[in-house]
Amino acid sequence: MRRFSYTINSENGIHARPAGVLVKAGSQFKSDIILYKGEKHANAKSLFSVMGLGVKDGERIDIEISGEDEDSASENIEEVLQNYFRAVKAEETLA
Amino acid sequence: MFDFLKIKKHFEVVSPMDGEIIPISEVEDDAFSQKMLGDGVAVVPTSGLVLAPVDGKVAQVFDTLHAYGICSDNGVEILIHVGINTVELKGNGFKSFVSNGQKVKKGDKIAQVDIDLLKEKGYSLQTPVIITNIDSVKNPGYHLGNAKSGQTVIISYDK
Repeated sequence: MRRFSYTINSENGIHARPAGVLVKAGSQFKSDIILYKGEKHANAKSLFSVMGLGVKDGERIDIEISGEDEDSASENIEEVLQNYFRAVKAEETLA
Repeated sequence: MFDFLKIKKHFEVVSPMDGEIIPISEVEDDAFSQKMLGDGVAVVPTSGLVLAPVDGKVAQVFDTLHAYGICSDNGVEILIHVGINTVELKGNGFKSFVSNGQKVKKGDKIAQVDIDLLKEKGYSLQTPVIITNIDSVKNPGYHLGNAKSGQTVIISYDK
């Protein structure tokens, strides 16, 4: 299991198109990829699920990845968050 | 061997807006034209009223009111994204008649869009209507040409 947190730094948050980029990235992997925002969580492989989180600029999300390819999945998802959402890695992760 | 007993059903998605239906590959936005978000068609609308394309539930109304996710009663997820880059308008020019979780019937009013305002501000009116969980359907068919909102079939599929 891999866990990490990011603060989104992109003016319109994770709206439709950017959610698609994230889902496309996540769907390549076998691992389960769950995004948490406060009390809510989403399956990173479902566009409707990710859009439903309604992540806005400046908000923090926690990502949990578990499965046989969790290392490469984590690397890829972190890259998407950094490059596409200019997200900044947060120090603490969800307990 | 009992495959013939399985009930296969044919479903249809109608156009949410009046206008011309074009292939998704012709949309001026890579995320849509490369089918990154799903597969479907786009409407180039001639009027601003947006109607429900299927019977289902409103899964997602964006805060900016420019995009609507509808989950059909059979579990197919349909995204209607009005115009390109219209997230930037932050709701300006959009009026929504629905809220998250609300049940809708095909042809119910979803939103009203000021397409003159979008044009004036230089936004493309191309409105992708796509199935985001396209892997869950069989034999999808896309129907191009002129469409009447709430009536003309633009996507058909089996499930």
